[in-house]
Amino acid sequence: MKILDRSGRGQSASPDEGASTAAVRLDDVTHEYGTDSGRFGSGNDRTLTALRDVSLEVQPGTIVGLKGPSGSGKSTILHAVSGLLVPTSGSVDLLGTDLTALSDRERVRVRREHVGIVFQRFHLLPSLTARANVALPLVQAGVPRTERRERAEHLLEQVGLGDRTTHLPGELSGGERQRVAIARSLSTDPDVIVADEPTGELDTATGAEVLELLTSLGDDRAVLVASHDSPTLSIADDVVRLRDGMVIEDAG
Amino acid sequence: MRDDDEEGRRSRWRGIFGVSTRRLWKQATTTRTGRMAASTGAVALTIAILLVVTGIALALANAGVVSQADAEATVVPEQGETLSDVGGVEPAQLGAANERAERIREREGVDHASPVLVETVRLESAQGDDGGESGLVLLVGVVPDDEERSVAGLPTTGLEPGDPHYAGGSYDGPRTGELVLSDAAAERLDAAEDEEFRVVGNRTATDRTTFGVAEIDAAAGNERDADVPVALVHLSELQSISGASAGELADRVLVWGDADAAATAGEDAYPNATVETAGGTDPSQLFDDGLAFATSLIALVVGVAICAAFVATTMGITVNEDRRMLAVLEAIGFPTHSRLAVVGVSTLLTTLLGAVLGIAGGVLGVLAVDAVAGATVASRTVAVVHPLFVPYAFAVAFVSGLVAVPYPLVVAARTNVLAEVGR
Repeated sequence: MKILDRSGRGQSASPDEGASTAAVRLDDVTHEYGTDSGRFGSGNDRTLTALRDVSLEVQPGTIVGLKGPSGSGKSTILHAVSGLLVPTSGSVDLLGTDLTALSDRERVRVRREHVGIVFQRFHLLPSLTARANVALPLVQAGVPRTERRERAEHLLEQVGLGDRTTHLPGELSGGERQRVAIARSLSTDPDVIVADEPTGELDTATGAEVLELLTSLGDDRAVLVASHDSPTLSIADDVVRLRDGMVIEDAG
Repeated sequence: MRDDDEEGRRSRWRGIFGVSTRRLWKQATTTRTGRMAASTGAVALTIAILLVVTGIALALANAGVVSQADAEATVVPEQGETLSDVGGVEPAQLGAANERAERIREREGVDHASPVLVETVRLESAQGDDGGESGLVLLVGVVPDDEERSVAGLPTTGLEPGDPHYAGGSYDGPRTGELVLSDAAAERLDAAEDEEFRVVGNRTATDRTTFGVAEIDAAAGNERDADVPVALVHLSELQSISGASAGELADRVLVWGDADAAATAGEDAYPNATVETAGGTDPSQLFDDGLAFATSLIALVVGVAICAAFVATTMGITVNEDRRMLAVLEAIGFPTHSRLAVVGVSTLLTTLLGAVLGIAGGVLGVLAVDAVAGATVASRTVAVVHPLFVPYAFAVAFVSGLVAVPYPLVVAARTNVLAEVGR
């Protein structure tokens, strides 16, 4: 990973040039909440700048950590990379496609096909079994039912939950739920995984297991992990420190 | 990509339906039993009440002693096609009834056919000039044969077989003057067998016609209308009194015999009329009875409105609680139409599940209402069940679901993914 030279925008590496190798590339990304229907959008005229001219790249096969206190912009970067929000300015390239130039529908499709998301609070559907939760992204992908089941069971086996396939999330421990969430993020075999505080809700031992799992996600995937927790960031090949929406150093 | 082809599209929709169903099932049985019970219970209650009211309306429509007969088929005029409805004074009648009934009688598989004319007539005792007891009686004109048949709940055997006064359409044959009275009519007229009664009024020159009581009979199988004074006479004799002889008019034609043959013969004789076949309660009678139709229509409109309001409210609350689920679906790549499909399928399934429970509740309700009414105030059937109630209930539930679905969809569409998954 490298942090692009912000001052060199438009003269150094062009987006197309960078897109040929980088899985994820943010170029001069600025985002202000309050200018759209973002998190603080409703009933607040005051704008809050969450990201200022952030540029970074993530190469396939690397894990990049985003470090910083609450409100530093970590989650906003992850949301921009996964196409959940469109930054106010700048470009977000995912595998050579500029997400900011796509329609809402196209961004959803790109996310489904290329991005797996792991949330801090797991966000499994409580009324679906572990297997059905893992298979959920494959439903929209149009994968036949038997194939969905086989893939979900295989992934649950891989994350060590082969014997928990028919359990509801409420019947699983926190660590097990996060492993189900990781299995779900892998179900469409995405090129990029974004994980937002993946160990935030877990105790140290369980968190270590989940981190081990994240580390073993594969050689070709680009992984972005946001955390303010040093053990979590220790799995990263590079760490980007953020403060007040700006990159303050490349800790790699 | 896989999802671009037709097979993928089918798999996707099957999957969305399956996920919605399984999720709903788990919610109903495990994770959210109270909410599901409230949603389905509200629909079930509305549907059950709708069915009970409709059952009462149907019983109301089917009440009416003059429509009681043991014929296999009944030819009735098509309503609403003639100007007679404009004034709402006279219902449509069948013409050339005597002649056509005779032709029907000759058909293979038909045992007997008789036109039926119903007139309200005031009869008074013919004993002495000062007039004795008098009262309004529903006179039902029929052509009896020598078999035991029931018309207007009365046996035709009390009348001489045939219709001698008709005399091939000349209406100058000998009158029998026979009258078969129901208990209620006999009571109203204070009549005894062989007593003579004459028709009161000045409608035709034959008003002074008299009838002799040939038989007094309880309106069999009609205990619910036992209080209606009804009497059988020969058709042509009634037609002469009422003026219906001019066009050989009748209100309906009853056909006995093989059910199919009877219906076919009726249809052939009156291609533009409606042929009703025997078989218990006839829901189409709802449309012929103003009060019953209005009752069931109000029940339908109120039922759909209340059901839709219940569904919209409970599903709106449910979807509001499900915002995070919808946000997660968006985050893992479900576009808006797929997310709304999950909500729509859940709403409609909840409604249909409520309809199933509502049908059971409605049937039990009808039976209970009838039993309680029978044991206390009513002397007749006050509510009936019909097999058509099942598709009717489902249709009402489905329409209610469709009416209700926009609200949860709007709630779902307004979900802010970042606000939900960021929590």
